[in-house]
Amino acid sequence: MKAIVDCNSFYCSCERVFRPDLKNKPVVVLSNNDGCIISRSDEAKLLGVEMTGPYFKAKNLIEQHNVATFSSNYNLYGDMSRRVMDTLKILVGENNVEVYSVDESFLDVSMIEENSLDSYALQMREIVEQWTGVSVSVGIAPTKTLAKIANHLAKKNKAATKCVATIIKEDNIREILKKTSVSGIWGVGRAYADKLINWGITTAWDLCNMPEEWIYKHLGGVVGARLVKELKGIPCIEMKDELKVKKMIATTRMFGKNVTDLNDIKEAIATYTARAGEKLRRQKCVASVLSVFIVAKEESHSANFSRGATLSTHTILPAATSVTNELIAPAMRLAEQIFKPGGEYKKAGVMLSGIVPDTSVQSNLFEPITENNKRILMDALDNLNFSMRDDIVKFASSGLTRDWKMRKEFRSPRYTSRWNELREVV
Amino acid sequence: MDSDKIFSSKYNGSKGMTQFDIHSANATGFGAAADDYMERGIDLNEELVRNKPATFFMRVSSDAMKEAGIYKGDVAIVDRSIKATNGKVIIAILNGDMLIRRFEKTKDSIRLLTDSNKLSPIQIDNTCEDFAIWGVVTYVIHTP
Repeated sequence: MKAIVDCNSFYCSCERVFRPDLKNKPVVVLSNNDGCIISRSDEAKLLGVEMTGPYFKAKNLIEQHNVATFSSNYNLYGDMSRRVMDTLKILVGENNVEVYSVDESFLDVSMIEENSLDSYALQMREIVEQWTGVSVSVGIAPTKTLAKIANHLAKKNKAATKCVATIIKEDNIREILKKTSVSGIWGVGRAYADKLINWGITTAWDLCNMPEEWIYKHLGGVVGARLVKELKGIPCIEMKDELKVKKMIATTRMFGKNVTDLNDIKEAIATYTARAGEKLRRQKCVASVLSVFIVAKEESHSANFSRGATLSTHTILPAATSVTNELIAPAMRLAEQIFKPGGEYKKAGVMLSGIVPDTSVQSNLFEPITENNKRILMDALDNLNFSMRDDIVKFASSGLTRDWKMRKEFRSPRYTSRWNELREVV
Repeated sequence: MDSDKIFSSKYNGSKGMTQFDIHSANATGFGAAADDYMERGIDLNEELVRNKPATFFMRVSSDAMKEAGIYKGDVAIVDRSIKATNGKVIIAILNGDMLIRRFEKTKDSIRLLTDSNKLSPIQIDNTCEDFAIWGVVTYVIHTP
């Protein structure tokens, strides 16, 4: 049996743990740069605040109903996420937990007897909330895909389900699949859902009744066949190990305000390159391809929020590297190449690819001594920045004033990671 | 898994270490004797943090618990996984505020005490919806 544990309005929950005065009150959390609403409490949802809608559109509603508004505080959310996942690992064993995203985890619960799964799920839910303060929903079923559907049911009517739903028995699965729209199936994107509905296949049950060859032909081959098998209760998507080595590393951010100056853009790109290099070294890899892009502000007369033009280019590095200064130098050249004077830019980013393991970490015996020096310098830099935080040592090209930095007007204190931002008690 | 195992307190402090993190004496002269007795140094986390995912730090910003030796500016270490029982110092939620108080629970009443004569105890009504226990204070870090 597989379970999925999903945190309820995760970012809002994290804020509420340290703000009990916001219990049962509407809360929203904004994306980087305070652009969009990325998390909303049930109360905010009831008021009609839209998810992923732009903040300025909901501003009237938010002010009118006195909705507590927060900029995203990823330092806090990351720490709270780790607490939730650690708790789950203690409960079901480390090897039975697959962290799927910051607020969701798949669990292998095969060791639990089937008829006690409901009470087990409830107990697990209570312990996570007791220990971390974050409330979660649990869905349990024979496969990951069905567990996702169960979780959705648990969330739909929290009072009745107590945030727990199990679908185990065959007739129970059938009833639920008949009520599940194809667009609500994990792994079915909007394009596929539209296609299916056009063919008259509207529920998950309809999909289950299609012949295998048809599915293979129209639903992306093996992937589609696996998905339908999962719906039928045959496990095809197994637990995955943590993703440790990423094939591509990207760091992109919106600017706090639109930027017109090449120097500001270069500072931003140098900063993102340093961050990407740090991530690369953390996974003990080197990269051979560096891409840089900047996004122009959209035209003010465009009615439907069309995106501004993206200017991008890439270069193949003479030798694969993870040394920040060897990445920043070409990144600066690329930034100069793509920058067009007179434009207004709202976003920039850096991407590293062609990533291979940095074997020199293990064997410096055959490395020229200078290479090793760079390695030691980068290690020292990373150690300083990770222990002192906030990029205490940075390259001069990253700039000193950083006028382009993100807006975070309503960020809450970093209660769990900074001594001087602890929650006060009276 | 039996529920005893789930609820038992389990060490989850900072034992993110292996035998190789303990260095040998590495003495050039007569080091063998000391080498046999090398062990890990004292780690505060081990003593102060019993259940890592459930432990939070908070700053005391009043002298309400002065008589209990908890002063303004101290850091309270709070464990959410411990059950609040009579006599424990807890972080209480009352009308949205977070208070540090001694928890008194008798058969038919709950009171929040300050260990001081100046502030009177807060009586919690059974029907009170704005009261909850946030966690139990396990240690306090104080600068003398």
